[in-house]
Amino acid sequence: MQYTSEVVEQAVEALSGFPGIGRRTALRLVMHLLKRPDMEVARLAEALLKLKTDLFVCKICNNVSDGETCQVCSNPAREASLICVVEDYSDQMAIESTGQYRGVYHILSGLISPMDGIGPEDIHVNSLLKRAEDGSVNEVIMALSATVEGDTTMYYLARKLKDYGVKTSCIARGIAVGGEIEYADEITLARSLQQRTPYSV
Amino acid sequence: MLLKTLQLFNFKNHADLRLDFKPGINAITGSNGSGKTNVLDAIFFLSNGKSFFNSIDSQLVRMSADFFSIHGWFEEDVDILVQFDTQRKKTIKRNEKAYKRLIDHIGYLQTVFITPYDIALVNEGSEERRRFVDFTLCQTSPSYLQALSQYKKALDARNALLKAAEGRPLDTILLEAYDDKLAGPGQYIADARAEFSKEFFGLLKAVWNHLSGPNDELNWTYETQWSQPQSYRTFLAEAHAQDCQAGRSTRGIHKDDWVFELNGQSLKRMGSQGQIKSAIIAIKLAQFDYFKSKTGKTPVLLLDDIFEKIDKQRSDALIQWVGSGRMPQIFITDTHYERIRSHTEQLGLELSQHHL
Repeated sequence: MQYTSEVVEQAVEALSGFPGIGRRTALRLVMHLLKRPDMEVARLAEALLKLKTDLFVCKICNNVSDGETCQVCSNPAREASLICVVEDYSDQMAIESTGQYRGVYHILSGLISPMDGIGPEDIHVNSLLKRAEDGSVNEVIMALSATVEGDTTMYYLARKLKDYGVKTSCIARGIAVGGEIEYADEITLARSLQQRTPYSV
Repeated sequence: MLLKTLQLFNFKNHADLRLDFKPGINAITGSNGSGKTNVLDAIFFLSNGKSFFNSIDSQLVRMSADFFSIHGWFEEDVDILVQFDTQRKKTIKRNEKAYKRLIDHIGYLQTVFITPYDIALVNEGSEERRRFVDFTLCQTSPSYLQALSQYKKALDARNALLKAAEGRPLDTILLEAYDDKLAGPGQYIADARAEFSKEFFGLLKAVWNHLSGPNDELNWTYETQWSQPQSYRTFLAEAHAQDCQAGRSTRGIHKDDWVFELNGQSLKRMGSQGQIKSAIIAIKLAQFDYFKSKTGKTPVLLLDDIFEKIDKQRSDALIQWVGSGRMPQIFITDTHYERIRSHTEQLGLELSQHHL
C-alpha cells in the first residue's frame, strides 16, 4: 500500500507491528487519530512514553509498578506469607479480578520450555526461591497453564520449594463453572475424578 | 461401510475424477502412471485424514494447482469431504460439518491398505512396526491416541533439553519434571501395546495358518525395555546420566519393537521372499479382523497391485480369506482387468471395472 504522506506511512508501520494488528487495522487507527483533538493524541503519546520512563518492575514480585515495589507488595493488608505464582502480568490481573485472593504474587515472565531455549535460569525462579528462603512464606499457589510447559515448571518449582519447607499447591483443574459433563474432554474429566474434592452438606 | 461415489479434484495426478463404486469387487484398472494407486490413497485419506505414502499435504496437490479435495459418499447418507488449500489449513467435514480438531475424525472409518510397500514392516527398522501398531491402536482407542500425543509432546521437550545441554550433566530436578510427564502416558502405552500384542497375535496366527498351512510357525513378540514391578519413573531416572551423555532420551516406549520369528528364526534374516510376503499379508488381514472385532464395523479393504507382486498360490489364499463373506466391498488395482477377473471369479462376488 502506498500513502500520499510519509508521516502516515510511518505511523501505520509502527502500529502494524503490534500483536493482532495488520496494516489495514493500523491504517484505521491512524485515520481515527487524525480526527481526534490534538490534546487527546498528545495524552496518548505521553501515556505511551511513560510506559518506558515512569514504569518500574516491582523488585519483589516482578510485576509492573509505579514505584520500586508494586501496589500489592506494598499493601500491608495483603498476606505476604501467601504467594501466587503466575506466568505473566495478564494472568495476575485475571486472578486479581476474582476479588478472592488476599495474598501476594510472583510473576515468572515465562515458563520452562527447552524447545524455545528457555530454562529455569531464564525466568524469575531464583527470586522466588529467595523469597521463600527466610521462612516467612507459608504457601505457594501455582496458577500456571495446563500445558507441558506449565506442568514442567510446576514440578520444578515444587521440588525446589520442598527444600525450604514451603507448602505448595496448584489451582484446581476440571469442569468449568456452568459447564456440562458430556461436553468435557476425557483428560479433563479423568483429572477431575482423580482430584475430586470432599462434598459436605 | 460401503463407498458409493468418490470425487477427486487436483489430488495427485487427478484433475477431476468421479467414480461410482458398487458392492463387491471394484477393479481399478489402467496403464502404469494412470493414477490407480492414487485412487486407493484418496480412499485411505478419507478415513485417516492423511495420505498413506506422503504426510506432506502440499506435495499431494496436482502440479500448477493450489488446492485439492477428496469427497466420498457412503451408504447411510454419510459423506466425508477433505479439503486442502496451500494458503489455508486442511479441513475435514462429515455431513457438511467441519471437525474442530482433525484427530476427532480418526477412528470413524477404518481402512486396511495392502501395498507392495508393506515389506518395510519386516525389512526396515523398529519405527515402521511402531507406526503400524500405533496406527492400529489409535483407530480403535481414543485414549491411546491421546496418551501417544501427550507422550510425544513431553518427549520432544525432554529431548530438546538434553540436546541443548550438549553432553553436560543437567539439573536432575528438571529432567524429573519431564519424567513425571512421560510416566503416565508411557506406562499406559506400554500396557496397551502388551495387551494389543497378545490379542493381535491370536488373530495373526489364524490368518497365517490359513495362508501357509500348519507347517510353518510364525511368532511375533513385543519387546520393550520397561517391565513391572519397576515404576516407569525409576526406569527413566536410572538413565539420566546416560541420557545427558547421549543428548537424547535413551529409554522409553519410543524404543519398543516387535520381532517376527519363523520356526524360531528371525523372519527378516532367514525368511524367503515368499514367506515374508505371506507374513505381511497375514499381518494386514489380522489388522482387518482386529478393526472389525473392536469396532463391529467392516473396514474398507484396499489392495494395491497384489496380483503383480504376489504369486498365484498366495493371492488365491488371500482372495479366499477375503471373499469368505467377510468383506462386502474391496478395491483392487491392476494393469490388467483380466487378471483381477480370473483371480476373483471363484468368489462369486459382483465385479465392476473402473478404467482410468
